[in-house]
Amino acid sequence: MARNSKAIDPPANRLLGLLAPRDYASLRSHLEPVPLEYRKSLYQADKKIEFVYFIESGVGSLVNTMVNGQAAEVGTIGNEGLVGVPLVLGDERAPTSVYIQVPGAGLRMRAAHFKAELKRSPAMQAVMLRYVHALFNQVAQSAACNHFHALEQRCCRWLLMTRDRMQSDEFLLTQEFLAMMLGVQRPGVSIAAGGLQRAGLITYKRGHVTILDGRGLEQRSCECYQVSKKEFDRLLGD
Amino acid sequence: MFELSPPAAEHIMSKLDQDTISNRILAALPAPEFSLIAAHLVRIDLQLGESLHRAGETISQVYFPEIGFISVLSVLSDGQPLEIGLVGAEGVAGVSVILGATTSYSETMCQTGGAAHRIPVAAFKQVVEQAPYLRDLLLRYVHVFHVQVAQTAACNAHHELGQRLARWLLAAHDRSGVPELSLTQDLIAVMLGVRRSTVSVAAGQLQKAGIIRYQHGRITIVDRVGLENAACECYQAVADEYRHMLGVDPAVIKAGELRRP
Repeated sequence: MARNSKAIDPPANRLLGLLAPRDYASLRSHLEPVPLEYRKSLYQADKKIEFVYFIESGVGSLVNTMVNGQAAEVGTIGNEGLVGVPLVLGDERAPTSVYIQVPGAGLRMRAAHFKAELKRSPAMQAVMLRYVHALFNQVAQSAACNHFHALEQRCCRWLLMTRDRMQSDEFLLTQEFLAMMLGVQRPGVSIAAGGLQRAGLITYKRGHVTILDGRGLEQRSCECYQVSKKEFDRLLGD
Repeated sequence: MFELSPPAAEHIMSKLDQDTISNRILAALPAPEFSLIAAHLVRIDLQLGESLHRAGETISQVYFPEIGFISVLSVLSDGQPLEIGLVGAEGVAGVSVILGATTSYSETMCQTGGAAHRIPVAAFKQVVEQAPYLRDLLLRYVHVFHVQVAQTAACNAHHELGQRLARWLLAAHDRSGVPELSLTQDLIAVMLGVRRSTVSVAAGQLQKAGIIRYQHGRITIVDRVGLENAACECYQAVADEYRHMLGVDPAVIKAGELRRP
């Protein structure tokens, strides 16, 4: 999975793909490829952000850790996004931690260089702000979705979102992460995933997901999958 | 019908004394930037239940609340709403236009009567282009608002209703600036995404503990410290982020920390 990316055109990260060629060229000189291993921490809550990441494959998860140690997933970032949003809004410190939950690869650059680039190019800043908005909408949609929609619907939604980001029907997804994303205990995930397997929509073995019937998953998913997808596609100009 | 031309002379706020402004973002601006934006501001009353932005519709006005607070709701396609954040005199409603948004993702609704300064989006964007300090401050506000929304999402998933109710009352109290809130239990139930009957139980417990008084649709906060103790950590986490981003440097927010009467 750790494809050796060299930041060559066209960028695998959709946000980088939106930049004007000059801006992208200017960023490229600072970007270095990094493997994104499972559980890798990209930054920690309340700590200074050292690097920003443009994910090319895999999924990072924004995690709020409660005082009792309970971890709550509040949003996810994949090949459509940037890990480093607080810097765009003027904070050097991260309010939430970001961990890799689905392994892949990406590009990273020093926070100081990123800030200098943003300052240099208002056009680049505008692209990043559009992403901030899209990410915010995803978090807001998830908040309502987690509260009102049934576990199986939400499970379908996350599987479809992960598929889109991986651009593959096969990916690694631990039960632990799926449980956190869905805000339930692991047995709850087993029940939901078991139902989808029996319906012939997926296979799920030892953390390895294969989507057999994407349309079937879309039909069982809540509206939130389509809503978020449309929103990202619109804001990211696809 | 006058929206596109400058507001009528008597409504122009340029004569308004910045020191009388309660909205902390407007109050924190350097004088030249304040005059830039003040020329477009119109003070309006906010009516209980009034919708300022509707999900999926074009954002035409940006609001700087002066009195009272505005609820930001995520609305699912079946019409089911869930509150994701509150905006009071510390903030701005419709601020997503500076991120490049033209339509509103969320619904914004007045939860109390109050007042706000309003500015048309086109004028707002023009002012922001010429006012770097304001632009910076607004981006910082976007950041803390996003933190509030993320914290609310996590809180909804993990904390008990009694804690969530206490957190919500504290946030509402901070933003309304008065100890007495006019709120029906129906409304609170919608905000917290639960049944009215469960709100009754949670509110009853806070009342029994002598923390709030609830009568005829009015909630009076009797014991602010008790309410803080009854809330989950999420209240403090969000308040800390506001201080960190908007209140640490007194030059950023003149009024200093959140007001606590």
